[in-house]
Amino acid sequence: MEALGHLLSGFAAALSWYYLLYAFVGCVLGTLIGVLPGLGPAAGTAILIPLTFSLDPTGAIIMLSAIYYGAMYGGTITSVLINVPGEAASVVTCIDGHQMARQGRAGSALGIAAIGSFVGGTLATVALVVVAMPLATLALKFGPAEFFALMVAGLCLVVGLAGKNILAALLMTVIGLLLALIGLDPVRGAPRFTFGIEELFDGIGFVPVVMGLFGVAELLLAAETRQTHMIQAELKSWMPTRQECKDSVGAIGRGTVVGFVLGLIPGVGAIVPTFMAYVLEKRVSKTPERFGKGAIEGVASAETANNAYANASMVPLLALGIPSSPTIAVLMGAFIINGITPGPFLFAEQPKLVWTVIASFFVGNVLLLILNLPLVGLWAKLLKIPFSYMCAGVLIFCVIGAYGLKQNLFDVWVMLGFGIIGYLLRKLDFPIAPAILALILGPMMEKSLRTTLEISGGSFAIFLDRPVALALLAIPVIVVGFLVFKPRSLAPLRESDAE
Amino acid sequence: MRQGRLIATGAMLVFCLFALWQSLLLSLTDRLGPGPGFFPFWLALIGAVLAVALLVTTFREAADPSDAETRILPHGEGGKRWLAIVVLLAAVTVAMEYVGFRIAMLVFNAVLVVALGERRWWVIAVFSILGSVGVYYVFTTWLDVLLPVSPFGF
Repeated sequence: MEALGHLLSGFAAALSWYYLLYAFVGCVLGTLIGVLPGLGPAAGTAILIPLTFSLDPTGAIIMLSAIYYGAMYGGTITSVLINVPGEAASVVTCIDGHQMARQGRAGSALGIAAIGSFVGGTLATVALVVVAMPLATLALKFGPAEFFALMVAGLCLVVGLAGKNILAALLMTVIGLLLALIGLDPVRGAPRFTFGIEELFDGIGFVPVVMGLFGVAELLLAAETRQTHMIQAELKSWMPTRQECKDSVGAIGRGTVVGFVLGLIPGVGAIVPTFMAYVLEKRVSKTPERFGKGAIEGVASAETANNAYANASMVPLLALGIPSSPTIAVLMGAFIINGITPGPFLFAEQPKLVWTVIASFFVGNVLLLILNLPLVGLWAKLLKIPFSYMCAGVLIFCVIGAYGLKQNLFDVWVMLGFGIIGYLLRKLDFPIAPAILALILGPMMEKSLRTTLEISGGSFAIFLDRPVALALLAIPVIVVGFLVFKPRSLAPLRESDAE
Repeated sequence: MRQGRLIATGAMLVFCLFALWQSLLLSLTDRLGPGPGFFPFWLALIGAVLAVALLVTTFREAADPSDAETRILPHGEGGKRWLAIVVLLAAVTVAMEYVGFRIAMLVFNAVLVVALGERRWWVIAVFSILGSVGVYYVFTTWLDVLLPVSPFGF
């Protein structure tokens, strides 16, 4: 009941005209980012951070969250119309969505995707309201040892599921953590790895690194392998028939559950729930042979799971301060830029902000439905923007984003450097997600570990005396052990870094 | 591909060893407990061990026939577009300090879209002006974001 009261006051704020405007602009920009092939939600959210510099923290988070789930839907449009996923999570939608488009049913596919995304996103937000606060209350009992163990467990889950090669994923995590340590030591204030460069005293900026690794690197990859001609399916109507809606009800329900449950687990990534929901739907179907040939349940299940996952992945961020994917790490960066630390204290210290943001998720889902059903034809036209203009436009935002936070050209160099590094890492198949998450969690991990060791007088035995910390530290051991013994059955589910 | 992975892993090993050396210059422990060098020391050590393990496993991997066709560095027409983006991005970063955001970005936009294949001069002109002067106005006036201004005030 307490949560309901908070949520209602959150709605009162979220429905004010300016927060509605921020959510609307975020949904529009997110859909635009999702529509443009090659730019995923992480890159989109990162490059649009400069738009929020002048907003109050609540407005900034509302807009960036709306960009995130807008992008998750936007990717569907390209998947259906041109068989090119706008972002990684839409890969599964291509299977039946584009087949439907080739049969002249593109409108039905996009319509059911919008409806499924709305239902999945809304129900997952309801579950978020129920789950987040008790989880945060429980986490309030955690000491630094438990927080350190929680962050190690979160990182290891990401490592376990983010990369094809466990050693490479672990190495990328360590590299990310080492980069996070550049700057002043958070406990004693001693400069580390700064080499007398004044700009490094504040550490390497998260925003320039993310813009480089995602925005610039994705453009460099796209510039090299640019597709000049795409076959676009014709769009006749944007509403599914009554029979198609009836056929999709079960798929939407199951997709919501799969997306929400997997969204709670750090590191699973958006492609896993969409794939699992699709496979589940095919298993329960009486006519599984239709899947792959334009079955609307295939689109409904994948898209519902996709958006349920997007909203559920906010639970570990808001309640525990653990980002479960690169996009959520970017959002966490935005929280920190605005002076807010996500985690259990957020509900106690900033209830107005957190409940307004949660209420805005409901509002955003409604806005997305309104935007996407009738305007799908307009979004489809955006696919005709030439690459040269899209590339230049994105780079303008990258330069402003990297420079704007500290008014420092050094950060633009950092962005360019990490853009080239990101390009090479992707070509060499090194997973980037663990490094990004490590970069944002590094300072907090160090602080928690050092505080723990200061309490124990330098003894690691303190972890043995704290059962919750010990149990959490067992997770990485299990994950790494599990992966060492070659889980071949999980291989197709692993997430690429494209998100 | 395998050669590229070996070089990249080798570079990461050097990075970890360098971090290890640097962390040893800081105190690992002090009277309050772990010092500034404690966390980086252990991380760099773990990183170095992981890098060596990855080097060994990559070296032992059987060569994939498709690897020979995969080129790590950009080449051909795509390579020219790649290079154009990198060089122009570096140039605009240098130029912004001397001529400010508007002029640097005006030239950047025009040259980049031409390098990426656009030939209609009026479209290039409109895009370049909107993407420099227009963007500058929106960000500085409406969004309160400070952008570089030349020493001459523009």
